[in-house]
Amino acid sequence: MKAGVTPGEMQIESHETDDALLKRSAKGDERAFTELYRRHQAPLYRFAVRMTGSTWAAEEIVQDVFMMLVREPKKYDVDRGTMGAFLYGVARNRIMKHLERAPREFSLDERGDGHEIHPQLHEQMTPARWAELRERREQVRLAVMELPPEFREAVVLCELEEMSYDEAAHTLDCPVGTIRSRLHRGRALLLAKLEMLREVPKRANASRG
Amino acid sequence: MTCEEFATAGLDLGSPGVDGLLQKAALEHLRECPHCAALHENWLALREDLRVLGAETSESEAPSRVEMRLRQEFRTKHKTVKTQRTALILGWSLAAAAALFFAVAWVNWQMHRGMNLAKTQPNFVHVPVAAGNASTLSQVNAPAGSELGDVIVASNGSGDFTLLPDSMPPAPEDATVVRVQMQRAALEGLGLTVNEEHAGDWIQVDLLVGDDGLPQAVRLPQTATETTN
Repeated sequence: MKAGVTPGEMQIESHETDDALLKRSAKGDERAFTELYRRHQAPLYRFAVRMTGSTWAAEEIVQDVFMMLVREPKKYDVDRGTMGAFLYGVARNRIMKHLERAPREFSLDERGDGHEIHPQLHEQMTPARWAELRERREQVRLAVMELPPEFREAVVLCELEEMSYDEAAHTLDCPVGTIRSRLHRGRALLLAKLEMLREVPKRANASRG
Repeated sequence: MTCEEFATAGLDLGSPGVDGLLQKAALEHLRECPHCAALHENWLALREDLRVLGAETSESEAPSRVEMRLRQEFRTKHKTVKTQRTALILGWSLAAAAALFFAVAWVNWQMHRGMNLAKTQPNFVHVPVAAGNASTLSQVNAPAGSELGDVIVASNGSGDFTLLPDSMPPAPEDATVVRVQMQRAALEGLGLTVNEEHAGDWIQVDLLVGDDGLPQAVRLPQTATETTN
């Protein structure tokens, strides 16, 4: 027995499969459930944040996904795919519902929860450069958020999460060709959006000149 | 490669898993087309921005309060299930115990009642007896009729017995009713007067026999009385 594990507690092996953990969790083993949660919460949370643009909504979505696992563990069928893909699928449904309900909803505390995007301030970087980079990141983030959900999820998975096309197709349960075409459209829309944003200051400067 | 084809496939330039021939054609097109070269340059800048955006949020996790809430929910759910299961088992156990108790009580009550009846009611025995052999009645000591082969034991419906001369009425719990068939003349042996015209008739007689084995009282059942009179 490993140190730190009392005799009454069930020991969780790190190599234990998700399926085994889920079975134990369904029988009331809280440690198994916690292990399962810790394995999968981070990518789900990031996916939800990137899709909704709201940490508050992402929190709710992650909670909903795992709550479903607590209440209806039999919904997961090991023969139909991995636990990760299953949870992504559930999260995706929740995200789509959230986006349908409030397509332009942004959390008010978005600026103060420690998850906002700030470029690292290096010694060589001037404050002006730092502000420029920060503005650029924010523009990119907003451009991603303004993509239609089906293109956004392809961009989030393939560009932000850096998944392969196959992995993204598996996660979204669709053919690789669909991922390719959505990604292509998403990239084109992003480029168009950012090009347009970039053009605005130029035009403004030109008009001043 | 055309500009349209480049816009579709060329942006994946440099990505792993892209066909070598496609990459070569895209590179050639880039050298020839300044528009697509600018597009590609923009895309590379955007991709870098996206990667940075991804990297900056790659460490983010759900806040610990989510885990706490989920664990609380987990405990509540499983505690509730356990409680419900325990309550169900306890309920069924109590119901089973109550049913068993009532069953045992009912059986006891029935047995007690049967014993009381047996004590309070005299036994009823049917024994054929030949005429002139009334003395043998004293031999018929009916112990609830159990060891008398052809003895019929029945409950006694009417209790109009006539005491025999020089007899004391026995206590009901000590008495046994014995039904016998005898010739009417045999009643004389018990001290009763008999009509001589019917002295040879066979009649049924109920004898109330005391614990000493001697008949104490006699009763002529209705049918026997009708036929004999």
